[in-house]
Amino acid sequence: MNTAKPSVYIAGLGIVSPLGSGIEATFSSLQANQSGVSPLRVCPVKQQPPLPVGQVEDLRGDSTLPRGHRLALTAARQAMEGQACALDAIVVGSTTGGIALTEELLAEQNRDAALYSHHGLGTVAEAIGEALQCEGQLLSVSTACSSGAVAISMASKMLESGDATWVLAGGADSLCLLTYYGFHSLQLVDKDGSRPFDVTREGMSVAEGAAFLLLTSEEPEEHYGVVLGSALSCDAYHGAAPHPEGNGAHAAMAGALADAALSAADIDYINLHGTGTPDNDLAESKAIRRLFTSPPSLSSIKGLSGHGLAASGAIEAVVAAICLKRQFVPANYGCLEADPACGLVPVTTPAQQQLETILSNSFGFGGNNGCLVLAGRAKEKDGHEESVPLSIVGKACLTGAGHTMDSMGAFFTLQPMAGRLDEAVISKDLPARSIRRMKRFSRMVLALAQAAKADSGIEQSPHAVFMGSGWGALSETWDFLENLAATDEQFPSPIDFVGSVHNSGAGQVAIAHGATGPNITSTGGDFSFEQALQATQLFLENRTRYNTAFLMAADEAHPQFTPLLDPSVREGQEAADGGGGFYLCRKPLPGKVAIALPFFQVNAAAALDNMVQALGSKEHIAENCAMVLAGIPAAYEEEGEQQLDRFMTLTGIDVPVIHYRKFTGEFASASAVAAVMGVQLLESGEIPAGKQVYVVGFGNMLSAVTLAMQ
Amino acid sequence: MDELTAEIKTKLIEVLNLNDVTPEDIDENAQLVGGELGIDSIDVLEMVVMVEKEYEVVINNKEIGEKVFSTLHNLVNYIRENSPKLAS
Repeated sequence: MNTAKPSVYIAGLGIVSPLGSGIEATFSSLQANQSGVSPLRVCPVKQQPPLPVGQVEDLRGDSTLPRGHRLALTAARQAMEGQACALDAIVVGSTTGGIALTEELLAEQNRDAALYSHHGLGTVAEAIGEALQCEGQLLSVSTACSSGAVAISMASKMLESGDATWVLAGGADSLCLLTYYGFHSLQLVDKDGSRPFDVTREGMSVAEGAAFLLLTSEEPEEHYGVVLGSALSCDAYHGAAPHPEGNGAHAAMAGALADAALSAADIDYINLHGTGTPDNDLAESKAIRRLFTSPPSLSSIKGLSGHGLAASGAIEAVVAAICLKRQFVPANYGCLEADPACGLVPVTTPAQQQLETILSNSFGFGGNNGCLVLAGRAKEKDGHEESVPLSIVGKACLTGAGHTMDSMGAFFTLQPMAGRLDEAVISKDLPARSIRRMKRFSRMVLALAQAAKADSGIEQSPHAVFMGSGWGALSETWDFLENLAATDEQFPSPIDFVGSVHNSGAGQVAIAHGATGPNITSTGGDFSFEQALQATQLFLENRTRYNTAFLMAADEAHPQFTPLLDPSVREGQEAADGGGGFYLCRKPLPGKVAIALPFFQVNAAAALDNMVQALGSKEHIAENCAMVLAGIPAAYEEEGEQQLDRFMTLTGIDVPVIHYRKFTGEFASASAVAAVMGVQLLESGEIPAGKQVYVVGFGNMLSAVTLAMQ
Repeated sequence: MDELTAEIKTKLIEVLNLNDVTPEDIDENAQLVGGELGIDSIDVLEMVVMVEKEYEVVINNKEIGEKVFSTLHNLVNYIRENSPKLAS
């Protein structure tokens, strides 16, 4: 029976960007067609003159927090103003997290690990969660410049699935040396400020900002319209350049229209990604001309706001909501003579226009594309999908003990697996040419994908990629910043910059395997694998040809960075890293293990009770659970042990409990290795048929992954 | 192979991490970008950084860049003609 999906209402908006703080200020800037792009002032740089950027000059808030967090908190609080709801989740898209502060500390050669506690991208969601007292899920995605749109799409899926009623979703990024010099090293910055679609455009203006949408499936009395549809795609083409024909952009736009049950002719206005780089604007134009026989009015606001990177998708979604409310279309500032090669004629002056539907585009490095359709009014959309299991058809892991067989061999003979595997061993099966620009993290990810596919015995590569990582590409980030400092900021490395984004590994997997479906990198400290599984549950379709994915998580141990960043790792401690990966298929497959995430939440008062409830009745758990693989990060040892004791008491089960970090060593995505251990135990028959393995995570969050032979 | 050509080949192999290539493998007159070595636009940007850092030759113009990086021979000549370091 088909029932209607819940609508996704926009109940609140928050925005802080170079266009101003708040809806009114933003609307005024758009109306006045006043650009917020100007020479960099908010952080000191050695290379002069400073390049034009989009900056937030009167940023308030706790000055001990990094800029990214302060921007995010400002916008999040605005979106929640006057709302008295209990948030089920906060979803944040970010690429820079607290790196602005990390850069300052590194420059001072400060080695006090406690001061680096805001580095992780997931800490932005955690800071908002704490400020808003959210006891639900804190989710973070990092898909470069589409992050904000991906976060909103993810929130929409949560609401449409009925799993959540109130979700705050958006994106935040601050200016920092990494992005300022990184885009400059790629020669993607226009020294005259971004002029999207102009015939003489030379690039983008790196910017900062944050924006959030309070979304709900309960129709509020007053709202700013609805998120009618969304879709993600991956170019699977190049790490930093768009597909020249805009294939991925086309797929995401077409997918968003289909999800909204609209045709191209139904769209009244397109908010373009339009960064101002020659390649992006051309590729986006081609995709639009292919999809729209007669394109509606369209404009990019990035000449006004600059490119807020992970925030941009959210900033533009908020702007789209403002446009719907005000029946207004902003101008494509900077486009004086439209590039005939693009063949689009953007709106050049702000105008009143009747608007019912808006398409908002966001594309990013790694070929990650996310498109949203916003509309003034809700519309009935067909049905709740049945819950279909995620079947594991291939698995792989990497630990200090080696690849899958060696790691599992060590585990089954109770030998230690912890360590930092030699890079040559990690990449032994990868073609040398294809990995020459990759450092440790991307090599691990690529090796995991290849091994999981080989283990599946399936020739066809999966359609989608869901990746988790607590810390991302640390080697590239460290090398980029170190090299920058060593050369007086004169010679930033473009290769390191492209490799430094969290989603670089997932992007490379997509390229290597031609995976053009959704491609999401989730991040959130010790729960990054669990978040990637959550993304898989939300985005992996139940449709032949589209129902396969890689689900992976990995972290690299970096000799200098890791002891500063990961609170479970301290200087002098033996380094450990690795990860796990699966080839998944969304359909029931008897004889294969099914993986699920019935629970993931902040460790709040009733969270453990909720977790037990989510796993089923006490009788159900007693009957099914044969083993608990417990993840207690060293930083939460005492608290985690208490949580585990309470969990065992609440469930009343008496089964073997394995502290898997004692085997894997301490790294953020160790739970992905634990999941591979669990699958191995089930497949080998060590766990009797009909029984399940729980991979339970403790600490500042609580999570439960179930593994069951079908 | 003259000294500068050999030096630049070694630097390219190092900066682009072309571990399976020796200086002798690089044909000075073959297409450098998009050719057999698998060098693409990001590699070109990394080479631009190397050329500026090591030889103080700035290449920030697309047209010049395309000519300079068309072959190794052209790159070596451009550096030879424009580097203040080599002039001294």
